Amino acid sequence: MAEPSQSRLWLMRAAYVGLCTLIILFHLLPLETTPRRWVAPDLLLALSFVWVTRRPDLVPILSIAFVMLLADLLLQRPPGAWAALTVGACEWLRRRGPALREMPFAAEWGNVAVATVGVILGYRLLLGLTMTGQAALSLSMIQMMMTLAAYPFVALVSQFVFGIRKFAPGEVNALGHRT
Amino acid sequence: MARDRNQSEDYTGPLKRLLSAVVIFCLIALFLVWRIDSPRVERFRANVIDRVVPSFDWAMAPVTATVNLIRDFQSYQRIYEQNQELRRELQQMKSWKEAALQLEQENARLLDLNNVRLDPRLTYVTGVVLADSGSPFRQSVLLNVGARDGIIDGWATMDGLGLVGRISGVGQNTSRVILLTDTTSRIPALIQPSGQQALIVGDNTSAPPIDFLENPDLVRPGDRVVTSGDGGVFPPGLVIGQVAQDPGGRLRVRLSADYERLEFLRVLRDHGTRAISETGAVIVQETDAALPATPDQITDSAGVEGDNG
Repeated sequence: MAEPSQSRLWLMRAAYVGLCTLIILFHLLPLETTPRRWVAPDLLLALSFVWVTRRPDLVPILSIAFVMLLADLLLQRPPGAWAALTVGACEWLRRRGPALREMPFAAEWGNVAVATVGVILGYRLLLGLTMTGQAALSLSMIQMMMTLAAYPFVALVSQFVFGIRKFAPGEVNALGHRT
Repeated sequence: MARDRNQSEDYTGPLKRLLSAVVIFCLIALFLVWRIDSPRVERFRANVIDRVVPSFDWAMAPVTATVNLIRDFQSYQRIYEQNQELRRELQQMKSWKEAALQLEQENARLLDLNNVRLDPRLTYVTGVVLADSGSPFRQSVLLNVGARDGIIDGWATMDGLGLVGRISGVGQNTSRVILLTDTTSRIPALIQPSGQQALIVGDNTSAPPIDFLENPDLVRPGDRVVTSGDGGVFPPGLVIGQVAQDPGGRLRVRLSADYERLEFLRVLRDHGTRAISETGAVIVQETDAALPATPDQITDSAGVEGDNG
């Protein structure tokens, strides 16, 4: 009984890292070499928030930090800033996760919205404080809206493709046992 | 159930909190180090990209090709109009080609008469675009040539038509090109025929504005914009594009380079022009200063010509 669940746990942890690497690679494809007026949602952020809210055991902090730092380095962002804020937001959501389990989806969405706004505004604030050049505010706002709008879809796909659903009350014991 | 969870949190809670604090602290520290000593961290970034991106090339090339194929397929719907349009353009091009050939011959004759020596060192390395910046806030592409091929930071990059950007960040096998449209790009330019100096300032739009223009009245939409070579950034005379006016009345550059499809880029080798700083040494030869320089110069230029030829 313990063996398959252990291997499944590590499989899902690897799936998270693999999925994130795939998203980064799709970002890197040389398809868009002209500037755009709109911004696609930040799927990395949405995916991390879905998984950390619903199944915190599948996304240990080190894998979030690794993925986000890799994204920082590959996507030409200042290394470390976005990663630190995302890890902070994920830890906050992880702590609120158990309380959200009994509540409807809207409550979860609201919490994720707070985290997303916190990350994006905190990032702009951090770059402003250190006087690093940054893009237009309107682009960041569009990105924020798009990420929030994409969250339910990412949640749906995670639920039906990867089986990331909220813990039923009985499963909490297994988690407590595992950790 | 609740008791169980509390119990496990009692044991693991502080440890986890410590771990997350340490991780966040390390990331913030990395950011601050980057802010203080940017070149070192950027070199680390170039190394990471150098390791990661080429190893995924086998996966990225077919996916890119497929997406482009689908996009091209959509354009088949209006293939007839396109064909007509191309025929018309071809007619015009034929007359232009005739004119260009005549001008080229005339130019060659005049150059020959004047015994003009063109810069023989301007050769180029061609690279394939591996990846773009991946972020809507940055405009850059990654080439598959790097320090191994002798690429040096700051060299100009062109496609067949015009200037595309400059090299910034060189790894062993890859190098990054900051495009003219990036917000950090500043290129000194010359506007012909009025001869006005200006800066082409990237602002994350497809037509970067012209800044620090002395007299905007002398500049007209349609004028040619070329690099001026000021500050030793680029060799002079590379085509950037044409002046255009946006609805707000601001002068912008419509870039010559085809930014829609950047596939192959030329990196121009530029070893800089030797600056003449002193005047007296030419007339009064100081033996100990001038003599060692002369043989050095000769061997230097001979070596370069040997490499090229």
